[in-house]
Amino acid sequence: MSTRVHITGMGIISAIGDSVEENFLSLSQCKTGIAKINHLKTNHKNEFVCGEVKHSNEELNTIAGTKNYNRTTILGLIAAKEALHSAGIKAIKEGRTGFISSTTVAGMCHTELIYKDFFDNKTNENFIDSHFSGVSTNEIAAHLGITEYVTTISTACSSAANAVMLGARLIKNNILDRVIVGGVDALSKFTLNGFNTLMILDTEWCKPFDENRKGLNLGEGAAYLVLESEEQVKKFNKKSMALLSGYGNANDAYHQTASSPEGHGAFLAMQKALKVAEFPPESIDYINAHGTGTPNNDSSEGIAMQTIFENKVPKFSSTKAYTGHTLAAAAAIEAVISILSMQNNMIFPCLNRSEQMKDLSITPISELQKNVDLKNVMSNSFGFGGNCSTLIFSKN
Amino acid sequence: METYINSQACISHYNTIDEDFFFEETSVIPSSNFLFVTAPVYKDYIPANTIRRTSHILKMGISSGLMCLKNEGAEQTDAIIVGTAMGCFEDTDKFLRSINDNDERMLTPTSFIQSTHNTVAGQIALLVKCHGYNFTYVHQNLSFEYALLDALMLLKEGEAKNILVGGVDELIPPLCELFERAGHIKKTENLQEPIWASTSKGYVAGEGATFFYLSSTSTANSLAKIKGVRTIQKLKSSEELLEQCYLFLKEINLKKEDINLVLSGINGDSEKDEHLKEFNSKIALPIAYFKHLCGEYFTSSSFALWFAAKMIKKQQIPVWALPNTEAPKKLQHILIFNQYEDQQYSLICVSQC
Repeated sequence: MSTRVHITGMGIISAIGDSVEENFLSLSQCKTGIAKINHLKTNHKNEFVCGEVKHSNEELNTIAGTKNYNRTTILGLIAAKEALHSAGIKAIKEGRTGFISSTTVAGMCHTELIYKDFFDNKTNENFIDSHFSGVSTNEIAAHLGITEYVTTISTACSSAANAVMLGARLIKNNILDRVIVGGVDALSKFTLNGFNTLMILDTEWCKPFDENRKGLNLGEGAAYLVLESEEQVKKFNKKSMALLSGYGNANDAYHQTASSPEGHGAFLAMQKALKVAEFPPESIDYINAHGTGTPNNDSSEGIAMQTIFENKVPKFSSTKAYTGHTLAAAAAIEAVISILSMQNNMIFPCLNRSEQMKDLSITPISELQKNVDLKNVMSNSFGFGGNCSTLIFSKN
Repeated sequence: METYINSQACISHYNTIDEDFFFEETSVIPSSNFLFVTAPVYKDYIPANTIRRTSHILKMGISSGLMCLKNEGAEQTDAIIVGTAMGCFEDTDKFLRSINDNDERMLTPTSFIQSTHNTVAGQIALLVKCHGYNFTYVHQNLSFEYALLDALMLLKEGEAKNILVGGVDELIPPLCELFERAGHIKKTENLQEPIWASTSKGYVAGEGATFFYLSSTSTANSLAKIKGVRTIQKLKSSEELLEQCYLFLKEINLKKEDINLVLSGINGDSEKDEHLKEFNSKIALPIAYFKHLCGEYFTSSSFALWFAAKMIKKQQIPVWALPNTEAPKKLQHILIFNQYEDQQYSLICVSQC
């Protein structure tokens, strides 16, 4: 159980770029990818802004050199391939390798287009082989040649954090030598309308941790990390980008969709992650918060941070105003951003803020910070069903 | 370290919620090509103010989970892990239809809120106020196996002393239509042979919710222990199944001779069962079956585990499950070999405490 878990590769595709490099460029220029809806077929096209990946399905298939995959699989494949490439992995079988992906709505982006015709007009194209959650995971794993341990997790908006956590545990338990972990979600009418019924979508750019925040902007994308054991890193003389030093999973057990006012689940997840890392709270230099921009989340998360850090809350910000809330991909996308922060000694600020939140005594970073030494970065992700997860990344 | 099943609860086609029921009066041939569950009195488990809005899978899942805790006399659990391949499809279907029917206007949130795959695990956590580890696996027909693997690892890590782990999938009209039109369901006129002697394509579909209360310490009520779980991706031959089976037995320190019974995941689809049938004849051990009792569904391994644990506890095999073979004198180790569509296989070994 003592082995350290290294991050040796990462890949990402989001509204702010098709690669780690492009995402970093947008982040360091404080450039958002949230804009008018272009590709998603919805009647709300002119009503909401979203963090869409800036390519059609055809273009995405061309980028990946594939045919006919739905948006979910193709986004996942692009990010997973970049992660493997950046980890310098050529032979999958040179270690016990797993693939753990997460998704909330899987193939919904395609299912919703054919659903009505299938049932009402009895058209032939069914969705049995494209809709259900494991499908895209298996397709991506097959492309990468991974067979050892392939699974899918769905814990709403905390999903990818749990994929990362499971991967780390499998390495620590000596079940795998390395594992590609992360998540993917494509935008869908289903989720856009769903969040709209909950009245937690902002029609303009979201304003995480601002007094006048109105809600979130949805996004889409995928991101994966390559986790490897200390032994594997030494054996193959791998370059380690960072360490995954802590993780925690807890349940708020308060309400199906809302967070408890005091953020009990968030508090427990952060507390567990610190315990696994064996870090005192003051060792955290920066928190990439869940910070969706909904009134409920930012208040609850902020209060939980104030509680656990006893009013010595580290620097924090939310990067949701760059990428949008990418649901099951969010924690993986923010893991990549957290590692970019550490590698480049930068804190990417909250965007669109103007007024201090009245129910918090803490203020997020709102201007780009450079030359900040970040040794340990915490990343939070919370979801429906009370699922709360926290990851801690450290400089090697 | 051992993993004990200290209690279990199963909602399935037959009256398995009755502790004393053990398939005394059943049939070798399913009565229909869709085997729906025999429901418990849901209002005993679901809060009255929400029952009307609670979907089928949530009712089954929550009731089965709470029943399992009640059977053990436990009010709490340290962790909740659920496997579900299709998640909350009734609510997904409802919300999709309302989007289409209302042109994305004037929608209500309830079905969307309850459509996320982790709703069963989240609702149980909410009802028993469990703030601990909470996970949902959604990996097709290995969803339950991965939940189980996680539970074994969590107990080993000492992160939890007791874990509620379950497998849940629902069969609702749009799914029946989907499976039928995709060519998976056995035609009614072919419902004449037992699944193990089937010469026709397709399977009988089912649904269910089965939960286990696992612990690293046994009690007087412990039913059985779980020796190990193995998942296997695509295989090409029955030789590979044998190879995987021997690898698994070696991993859990057992020999073929130690296994008293194989509980086989054959579902009656003559094409897709081919490899597993060949395996069954090559392994030359007593073979029992379960999918004529619960139907085929993605998390049917949870039914199989419940069934195996009950057989071990009772030291008895229902005649309806064991054709053509004399019952073994003792049931110490049962090997469950499950499969779906000849794509993904899994092995679970259940042993006497």
